[in-house]
Amino acid sequence: MIISLFQDRDSWLHRLDPRTKMIGTIMLFAMTLSFNDPLYVAFITAAIVCTAVSAHAIGALWKLRLILMLLVLFSVALWPFFAEGPTTLWSWRSLKVSRESLLFGVAMGLRLATFVITGLLLLATTRNEEMTNGLIKMKLPYPVAFALSTALRLVPTFAGAGATIVEAQVSRGLDLESKNPALRMGKLIPLAVPMFISAIRYTNLLAMALESKGFTPDAARTLYYEPVMKTRDWAILASLSILVALCLYLRLGLDLGVVMAGRM
Amino acid sequence: MTYLFSMWKNTRMIVLVAVCAAIYAAALIAFKTAIPLVPGIAEVRVAGVFLVVFGFLFGPAGAWGLGLGNLIGDVFGGTFGPGSLGGFVGNLLQGYAIYSLWINLAPIAGKHYEWKAGNPLSWVRYILITMLSSGVCAVMIAVWVDLLGIVPYSVLSKIIVLNNVVGGMVGVLLLIAVYDITRGQLGLLWIDVMDLERPVRRATGPLGAWVLTAGVVLGLTSGLIPYLPPSILGPASAGIIILGCLLM
Repeated sequence: MIISLFQDRDSWLHRLDPRTKMIGTIMLFAMTLSFNDPLYVAFITAAIVCTAVSAHAIGALWKLRLILMLLVLFSVALWPFFAEGPTTLWSWRSLKVSRESLLFGVAMGLRLATFVITGLLLLATTRNEEMTNGLIKMKLPYPVAFALSTALRLVPTFAGAGATIVEAQVSRGLDLESKNPALRMGKLIPLAVPMFISAIRYTNLLAMALESKGFTPDAARTLYYEPVMKTRDWAILASLSILVALCLYLRLGLDLGVVMAGRM
Repeated sequence: MTYLFSMWKNTRMIVLVAVCAAIYAAALIAFKTAIPLVPGIAEVRVAGVFLVVFGFLFGPAGAWGLGLGNLIGDVFGGTFGPGSLGGFVGNLLQGYAIYSLWINLAPIAGKHYEWKAGNPLSWVRYILITMLSSGVCAVMIAVWVDLLGIVPYSVLSKIIVLNNVVGGMVGVLLLIAVYDITRGQLGLLWIDVMDLERPVRRATGPLGAWVLTAGVVLGLTSGLIPYLPPSILGPASAGIIILGCLLM
């Protein structure tokens, strides 16, 4: 079973050090969080979509088009009723929608979609192994990185085992085609027991294999794949730092990019 | 919180973290888009049946497994973002609350760390701890997500708590089915893996359990207290919950 968003291409973004991509992602999150005016957020969204196109990662984005649309729609529909602004557009009893709250809703929808696109861009251009090695290089304790990378490897195995268990039960007459989702979920719960047992048995086997090879959680490690920061990585991080500083200056210094004051 | 960190020296516990994270993530991914409640943020969580089971059976390894599993679920589900940090912390603290409250929530705390389906006190403890730990997860995630401006606190906290409580209540069936196999046959109950006859209870543990309870009640009832909006009560209750966790 293949569950991965990684797209194996040879683009400039793929060639960057995983640490650059991870720190860059955090910087892009910070930039997106700097504004709550939809125009400013839309500009950042457009820039990130252009980056995805240049990194040949638009395919991964296209896979999630429905969820992205839902994110924006949900936010636009929800936020106007929870944020208050001075220019009332519509009101009914205690419910009130203002121009500012509507714009804030659009901005939050775009912000959420931008978060997802940015995260997706990182995952579509970085292998799991690169990510964990990058985290180790960023001083994440080795046992935590080991657990994370093992879990990342095991997810497709367990998802595959789960699918096999479901297929075996369906072939014995289990009806999972019910249109009632509660009924369908109810039938899936008993399948959790064999899934759980088969996965937990694996724990003892893996632990024995590790112990027999002298695995010591806190021993010093070397890596087969050693990520190396190059000039282009430093240049990108420096450019992003300047952009973050500029966004913070626009928001905090010039009070630009705000439709709802007092909100992030 | 000692066991939450000392467990990283034990190989079997580390493997348990990975296995719990993988099972939880696999279940999350499988049903990620089945029934969305808040698109990209919350959905009907079939994976919720594992929450209390992992926290109880695998203790600190279960807690880390839930946190990492939620993060991996976001990564593979394509919803990875700053909100994922809140998801990680919320799920980690839910797992932590489950095994800590079991031995600290006076006067119903257990002297021995075990589940007995025939003992009514085990059921009372299970139900209370399911509700409180779900509240911990809900408040922590909702405060963070509201702060980021993603989803309002009052909407998300209720969705998460309901989702996790339902998952936890259904999860008791899983616990009954797997407890004896996990403890007796596989020897993987966390206190056995960590060679503890019984987990050490700190002097401040019961106080911490009640501080945590107060934080959860305050967090979930915010909006009902006049003149105190959720934007103030949410972060305040998150702070109280963290204090309770530190005391336990």
